[in-house]
Amino acid sequence: MMDPRVQQVLDGELPVTALPPELADEVARLEGAAALLAVAPAADARLEARVMAAIRRRAPGPVLRVLQWLSAPRSVTLRFRPVWSLAVVAVFAAVALFPADEPGPVLAADEGVAQFVARFPGARSVDVAGSFNDWRAGEVHLRDDDHDGVWRAAVVLPAGEHEYMFIVDGERWVADPLAGRYVADGFGRENSLIFVRPLAP
Amino acid sequence: MKSALVLALVGLPLAAQQGARGRIEGRVPAPAVAPVDSIIRVAAAAGLPTEPLVQKALEGGAKKVDAARIVAAVADQAGELAAARALLRRTAPEQPISPAELIAVTNALVRGLAPERVEQIATALPGEPTGPAVHAVADMVGHGFDEDSSVALIVAAARSGVRGLRLLDVATAAVQEVQRGLTRDSALAKVNGELPNVPLPPQPPRATVARARRPAHALPPVVARGRDDRSQ
Repeated sequence: MMDPRVQQVLDGELPVTALPPELADEVARLEGAAALLAVAPAADARLEARVMAAIRRRAPGPVLRVLQWLSAPRSVTLRFRPVWSLAVVAVFAAVALFPADEPGPVLAADEGVAQFVARFPGARSVDVAGSFNDWRAGEVHLRDDDHDGVWRAAVVLPAGEHEYMFIVDGERWVADPLAGRYVADGFGRENSLIFVRPLAP
Repeated sequence: MKSALVLALVGLPLAAQQGARGRIEGRVPAPAVAPVDSIIRVAAAAGLPTEPLVQKALEGGAKKVDAARIVAAVADQAGELAAARALLRRTAPEQPISPAELIAVTNALVRGLAPERVEQIATALPGEPTGPAVHAVADMVGHGFDEDSSVALIVAAARSGVRGLRLLDVATAAVQEVQRGLTRDSALAKVNGELPNVPLPPQPPRATVARARRPAHALPPVVARGRDDRSQ
């Protein structure tokens, strides 16, 4: 806090000689600082020129202003309520784990769905081929998603009578043990017979 | 006009057999191609359906059977088709025979059904396609029912209004009654007494239908329709 006598000297109410030496030094420092502040800074011609150029520059058009707005970095603050965040996560998890039924194929009036199921424990692959696909092996695959040895496939086929066989591990031709209907294949074995019906609406 | 008609009639089987040769080339051993092609040519000229013969050749090729056995199997198949057609013509000379019916009767005969039973069914059901009926009887015989009783039940079902592939459900119902513990005579009596009510076959679950896919080389529907167009 400044001594009141220093303030009196600065106000001209008291001669500086009336002060003790330490206060006289303080007065001298204050007057020096006041003298520095009283001097106006020299004008910088280059700075003035830059300022005037900026003032004279034309304002950008609306398109440019939009682009500048879009390209300028901005900070965004998101505020979450944890309960809603958890709900959103739960919905995404449910969709991922329990997807809605696929629409499936559009069947013609003379088409049906054949289900092929066979138990081949230890098999690496099981295919089905028959008169419905020119006996092309390796085209219609059965799947054993849960690795329990039961292989399955659902195939859209023309309604009617079809002969078929399973191909295990790409080389072993086997009649369907569950078919219940068999016909000699002319090569010393039996094909399975399936009757595909048009799918009821 | 007449010459155009003759050309069209001759051209149809020619086109069919040319397409058949293209389908078997590369899929059966090379030595089998020409003999199989000849058999298909003769069958087409005789008015027999050629698709079963093409399928038999492709089947032999897929199963890696040697050329001689493939030719023999195709020839046997042509003979079986001709025999089945002769049987159907003898039984019902005025009734047209669809390829589907001819194939069904051929397969039923190959399954072991006696020709006399086919005649019996065709005679008992004039104007009706016999394909599903003969397969229904073959199903029952395959499960130990005697032929006479099987024919009687299927004919009774057809006369009560059960048609097409639903006749197969009649056979299935009888077999299931036996599996539940009835004697065959009791099963026949029970199913016969409930006609025309026959349990419907189970429909594939919705999820199964949704997963179903068509084979990449599925035959065009017109072929399948031809195989079963009168049996639905």
